[in-house]
Amino acid sequence: MKQNKLSYKIQQYLIFGGPGTALFLAVVIVPFIYGLYLTLTSWDGVSATKTFVGLQNFASAFSDAEYWKAMLRTVIYSVFAVVLINVVSFALAFLVTRGIKGQNFFRAGFFVPNLIGGIVLGYVWKFVFNRAFVAIFGTTSLLSSTEGALFCLILVSVWQYAGYMMLIYVAGFMSVSKDVEEASRIDGCTSAQAMRNVTIPLMRSSFVQCIFLSITRCFVVYDVNLSLTNGEPFNSSVMAAMHVYNQAFTYKNYGLGQSEAVILFAVCAIVGVTQVLIGKRGEVEA
Amino acid sequence: MKKRVLAILLVLVLALTVVLTACGGSGSGDGGSSSGGKVAITIFNSKMEIQSQMEEMATKYSADKGVDVEVYYSSDTVAAHLSTRYASNDPYTISMVDAKDVYSLAADHAVDLSDQDWVKDTTQAIAIDGKTYGFPVCVEARGIIYNADAVKKATGEDFDPASVKTIDDFKALAEKTGTGVMKEDWSLAAHYLAEVYEQHDDPDAFIAGIKDGSIKLADDEKFNALMDTFDVLKANNYAKDSAISAEREVTEQKLAEGEIGFMFGGNWDWSVINAYEYSENMGIIPVVNSVDDGSSEKLVGGGSKYFFIDSSDNTTDDQRQAAKDFLNWLVYDEEGQDFIVNKCALVPAYSNITLDVQDPLGASVKKFADAGALIPNYNYLPDDHYAKCGAIFQKYLADEIDRAAFAQEITDYWSTAEVGEH
Repeated sequence: MKQNKLSYKIQQYLIFGGPGTALFLAVVIVPFIYGLYLTLTSWDGVSATKTFVGLQNFASAFSDAEYWKAMLRTVIYSVFAVVLINVVSFALAFLVTRGIKGQNFFRAGFFVPNLIGGIVLGYVWKFVFNRAFVAIFGTTSLLSSTEGALFCLILVSVWQYAGYMMLIYVAGFMSVSKDVEEASRIDGCTSAQAMRNVTIPLMRSSFVQCIFLSITRCFVVYDVNLSLTNGEPFNSSVMAAMHVYNQAFTYKNYGLGQSEAVILFAVCAIVGVTQVLIGKRGEVEA
Repeated sequence: MKKRVLAILLVLVLALTVVLTACGGSGSGDGGSSSGGKVAITIFNSKMEIQSQMEEMATKYSADKGVDVEVYYSSDTVAAHLSTRYASNDPYTISMVDAKDVYSLAADHAVDLSDQDWVKDTTQAIAIDGKTYGFPVCVEARGIIYNADAVKKATGEDFDPASVKTIDDFKALAEKTGTGVMKEDWSLAAHYLAEVYEQHDDPDAFIAGIKDGSIKLADDEKFNALMDTFDVLKANNYAKDSAISAEREVTEQKLAEGEIGFMFGGNWDWSVINAYEYSENMGIIPVVNSVDDGSSEKLVGGGSKYFFIDSSDNTTDDQRQAAKDFLNWLVYDEEGQDFIVNKCALVPAYSNITLDVQDPLGASVKKFADAGALIPNYNYLPDDHYAKCGAIFQKYLADEIDRAAFAQEITDYWSTAEVGEH
């Protein structure tokens, strides 16, 4: 059989890629398209009939003040969280690749928070903020003020993701050949200069990856939000994803909630893809 | 050649998988209807605290009655959970939902139960357009929970709940014993704020008045009276400075163990209180307030949690009959009555059940219910009412806004909100 015939290629694809494609279609693409269809209806989530209303849900979504407040809050949260996650994880990665004693232990240790599910983690930290800190410092809980709750969310997210991103940065550090760094040192670079001008540019792909992952995760944060603050105090810590969930399931405006989810997806995708494109453009090969 | 056969096989398997997933939902509905000739029914339980009792009961009922009963629980919002089951054509035979869900689901999904015997023995069943759809599982009511031991410790005298008749009586005691306030949005908005609507003779007209501006909430006598009472609770709150981060469990523990004397709540709070070293001398008194309309002698409440039976083609007539038998068993069989009252410690909604309620809060509620001293629930608040008004109420609790601003924000909420159809 000729290997460049179309039927042969299709056959090969079906053997190797077929199962994956079918599953991907069934659990991602089909629900996504069905979800898009639901944005055009005024379905409440339970009734048998789905009335077609055209683009009305998108109009309501754009005039839903609560939603845009939640979106703004999500952006603020994401900016702080993304910056801090990457700074902290880069610093950790730097420390555990210097050959310090027991560095494998530290690598494992920093990674552990990521193994705890977001829900559990939220409850653990809620206890820390509400009971432990209050008992130790005798102050009122950070979670009881608007800014405090947002601060707690950022802190917990950094704690959760720093270890995970650290692993990617560690891989980045390892991939930079010692030769080029040594060469720069021989040419007269200080270690800070070598880091800035040689190591960091060479591990640019790690940065692109980590920033992309942290942005997309922060934009759709839900589990920590739910268990740590549940939107309190006075709904001032409701993130976009939580608002979408409430809109669709609690307030029973499924169509509206779905269209707000689509908008959130679009915003998240645009930010993420732009960042990757910009990041990739300047990538260098050693 | 071998490869081609393999490829074709693979494609066939894939196609089959897709077809199977597509039909999976509709198939399973019939699959559950009979196993070995026995009728099998499923019950959705949305009352977490009685899940283990429900499971035990199901095992026993299955063995005794020859009907397979399976009980499911989900911590998800009731409507959200049921919607996924409807979407997959796999509804429960019997679902336990909140009153408001009966109004939104019954038309599409519930069987008319008007011809059942139990309808005449309860005042709490839900009927829409003259047809009964909702079977009340129990009675729950709200008021101020007291711990008589705490009051005695603070005043040196035995506490007589009937002696609290006016807001001044209550204030004098609350100042001595201290109080607790739940900061949860459902407690503040769905339970306390709702009393403002419910204590008006015609809540529909009152809400309509707020909506069209003919009633000024800030000037409303009932609103101000109830907020005065709330202020007493708020001013004596043990967690006054951190009211907004006080955890419900801690508050209930303090009440159970007598560190504080009063808390706004309902008999469902027993499921939390009984986890601690509780005092037996507890009970519920009405939310006393300064309006002289008898409301200071009544709790607010009624049927809570309703069973309805699925009407879709996914449920067979045999299953529906078994479900109706089950509901009758709960009301008329001694074992069923024992299950509701003793095993689950619920207050029965049926006048023919005369067993004594076990827990002190439930006993209080039963006393008010038997005396006809219950102001009915208003079950038609919009779905976002508790979350949005709860957030506004939390601001008031945290002293972020004053009462006038609070009234204004609630009025603003109502300018766009619509009460449910009924």
